[in-house]
Amino acid sequence: MNIEGHDLTIGYPDRTVGRGLDIALATGEVLALLGPNGGGKTTLLKTLLGLLKPKSGEVRMGDKPLGGYSIRDRARVIAYVPQVHIGTFAFTVETVVLMGRTAHGSLFSRPSARDRAVAQAVLERFGIAALADRPYTMISGGERQLVLLARALAQEPQFIVLDEPTVSLDFGNQGKVMNEIRALAKSGHGVLFTTHDPNHALRAADRAFLLRDGTRIADGPVAAVLKQDQLEALYQASVERLTDRTSGAVAFLPG
Amino acid sequence: MTRSALPGLAIATAVLIAGLLLAFTIGRYPVSLAELGNVLLAKFSGHRPDVPGAVESVILQVRGPRVLAAALVGAALAVAGTAFQGLFRNPLVSPDILGASSGAALGAVIGIFLSLGVLAIQAFAFLGGLFAVAAVYMIGSAVRSRDPILVLVLTGVVVGALLGAGVGLVKYLADPYNQLPAMTFWLLGSLAAANVSDLLPLFGPVGVGTAVLIALRWRMNVMSLPEEEARSLGVATGPLRIAIVAAATLTTSASVATAGIIGWVGLVVPHLARSLVGPDFARLLPTAAILGGGYLLVIDTLARTAAEVEIPLGILTAVVGTPFFIWLLASMQRTWS
Amino acid sequence: MNMRINRRMFLASAAALFAPRVARAATVTDATGRALVVPEKVARVFPAGPPAAILLYTLAPDVLLGWPRANRPEECDYLLPDACTRAEVGRITGRGNTANLESVIALKPDLILDVGATSATFVSLAERVQQQTNIPYALLDGRFDAIAETYRKLGELTGRKADAEKMARYAEDTIKATVGRIAAIAPSSRPRAYYARGPRGLVTGLGGSINVETIEMLAQNVAGGNQGGLANVSIEQVLLWNPDVIITIDQDFAANMRNDPAWASVKAVRDGRVHLSPKMPFGWVDFPPSANRLIGLRWLAKILYPDKFPEDIRAQTREFYAMFYHRTPSDAQIDHVLAGRD
Repeated sequence: MNIEGHDLTIGYPDRTVGRGLDIALATGEVLALLGPNGGGKTTLLKTLLGLLKPKSGEVRMGDKPLGGYSIRDRARVIAYVPQVHIGTFAFTVETVVLMGRTAHGSLFSRPSARDRAVAQAVLERFGIAALADRPYTMISGGERQLVLLARALAQEPQFIVLDEPTVSLDFGNQGKVMNEIRALAKSGHGVLFTTHDPNHALRAADRAFLLRDGTRIADGPVAAVLKQDQLEALYQASVERLTDRTSGAVAFLPG
Repeated sequence: MTRSALPGLAIATAVLIAGLLLAFTIGRYPVSLAELGNVLLAKFSGHRPDVPGAVESVILQVRGPRVLAAALVGAALAVAGTAFQGLFRNPLVSPDILGASSGAALGAVIGIFLSLGVLAIQAFAFLGGLFAVAAVYMIGSAVRSRDPILVLVLTGVVVGALLGAGVGLVKYLADPYNQLPAMTFWLLGSLAAANVSDLLPLFGPVGVGTAVLIALRWRMNVMSLPEEEARSLGVATGPLRIAIVAAATLTTSASVATAGIIGWVGLVVPHLARSLVGPDFARLLPTAAILGGGYLLVIDTLARTAAEVEIPLGILTAVVGTPFFIWLLASMQRTWS
Repeated sequence: MNMRINRRMFLASAAALFAPRVARAATVTDATGRALVVPEKVARVFPAGPPAAILLYTLAPDVLLGWPRANRPEECDYLLPDACTRAEVGRITGRGNTANLESVIALKPDLILDVGATSATFVSLAERVQQQTNIPYALLDGRFDAIAETYRKLGELTGRKADAEKMARYAEDTIKATVGRIAAIAPSSRPRAYYARGPRGLVTGLGGSINVETIEMLAQNVAGGNQGGLANVSIEQVLLWNPDVIITIDQDFAANMRNDPAWASVKAVRDGRVHLSPKMPFGWVDFPPSANRLIGLRWLAKILYPDKFPEDIRAQTREFYAMFYHRTPSDAQIDHVLAGRD
């Protein structure tokens, strides 16, 4: 299954953010969305999630336009992991993850035994089952990111879209989340994430999509797209390239 | 969390039962426990009670309906406050956030101004509350914004202020010897006049509104997340928000129509309930309802027994609510950000 | 600076305007001891509130500039048509003014008349308005037992001493004829009365309140234990008081309470002693508290002590209305009034 955006003009009622965008995400692959602040990453993300209608062009999911799905049906196919935030109310971790099951229940239903089993399974998958009864407001930032990942997975989606999943995490947790993203692709999910760090894209993504001022700079396999000149063009800043002599792994340093 | 819900609910229920016992046995007119038991037993077995007529009428016609009305109004305000706090993701919100109370107040003072009967005044108040919230909702939706919740709250504040000015105008034009005192007393909130015929028009809307909210309890959890998150979890936030606002407004307007304006209950009780059973609406809503009923019963018992003259409920709830609110502000950073 | 000049200029011109009248003026003291300089001929009087308007109408309908609130056509059936239909001019009562002081000045009154409480609040209000408008502001005592004195003062102020004396005598006679006849009854053996206001009858006048002055003159006010104005009470409290007589001004309450089981056990209800107060063109108990309460006192005496007051209330009503309202009511009108209808 694919999510595809064709010739998209994206933006808000009072403002156009990007034009002429073509983007595709297939199940089983990881796509990283890179670009400077204000370049339209979040707007494109929300358009692909169906939270924002494209101003022109069309987003299709499978063989139907995205707008043809009900909110509930859509949530059973695409899950969204927002940037980590602290909620207003101190729901338990288990309750937060169970919220991922909402689209599988009816308007008036509460989580069923099966919903609880799914929640338990995803909590275990991310190694946070011990946190189940803790208030979501009282755990660490890295744990919160995992809880939100678990909630997304509890939706049993085919696609997972993450907004800057590593942004407020410490170094160790960043690596952990990268690994989880890879693992999601391995289990057949299509993953789209935005990031400010090209190294995260190199580490976790199959393809990268570079977006600047609402226009596509490049789109393709990370090895082909994430090059020094491309990145310098993308960020309008100098970038240094490092290569590990033994493994041949590449990393970039800003400045 | 499931494990810790039971003690919280038990505490709330104990408060309600204590409130009921207290309210039934204490009052300006002395009624002994024996007389109370006698009348209630007779009522259920269909015999004539063996007590003086005045005692029977105090229990069945005066105190009984008032006790039930107090419990219902307290429950209604607490449930509406809980719903609005979740919907607006803000624990400092109270049931009148969208102008239900101001609308009801304007309806009531217009009713008094036109020298209508009690039922008509209550109907005016009820409809005033509904119309005010409907207007706020329509204006708020017409304003296009990326933050519909904020626009809604601000519209509520603005329209509420306008309605307040309307109340002021009607009071200003009112006859100072007859209508003005009636308006003042009404606006301060009281259950002094509650009688049997109030119970059905109160219970109907409160029951319907509360039932809808409890039915939507799981969806309300999700609605307390940021808008886009809730939608990405499969919740049609627009229609659901209308349903929650309508249900909460129904309960608020009905209770304001019966009891006048009673502040603080809808703000304070949801917090107490949350500290007892946590934020999950499935447990929070029933706990808040039970606790709210018990809380207002205790307050109303105080209002009708402390002096020969009724103490307005709005004043008593404010006296209790203000220190609580200050404590809340002081401890706010710890519990939510 | 600019403002001060304007104000000074205004005061100067106002003083010039009134100077000729002041020259031929008399000095009268009002109920608070304030000396007022009033013109020899007072032809235009502005009533500060409903009690003043009614008092003024009864004594000198021709000088009344208007009414705080426009009278309804039904009310005008009982009053002089010309005086009754005069314009609505609002009221001056502290913060709740509905009268614009500029309009008050524009009406060129010779005198502003206020009848009511004579506490420091109202004295200072009177002083302020008088200073601002340069129109003498007379504050007369609105309490019921001061009514004869108030009439005499008003007679002095308006130069109608003879008419005022007649009305003052009537007031004194009325109080003597009613209170005097029950003087032998110890206060504790007088009927216990509850004054019910509001659509549910649960607003009442506490002890000393202007609303229940006439009731407290003749009976025991059950709510008299607490001093104050109007207050909300519970039905339970009324049941506990168990009054012998209930007096109400609210037609809805009077109609509904008879079928309300909550009230059924009250002694007054069981004995059929719930009385709806007449209210046309003005209420007989407190609505508003003015000269209209004189006929109310006779009515109260009759319902409280039916045996002691065999007089025909219809004849008394006719006499009072003719003398104070300057219009003799028809029998049908008297029936209507006594039924307590609007």
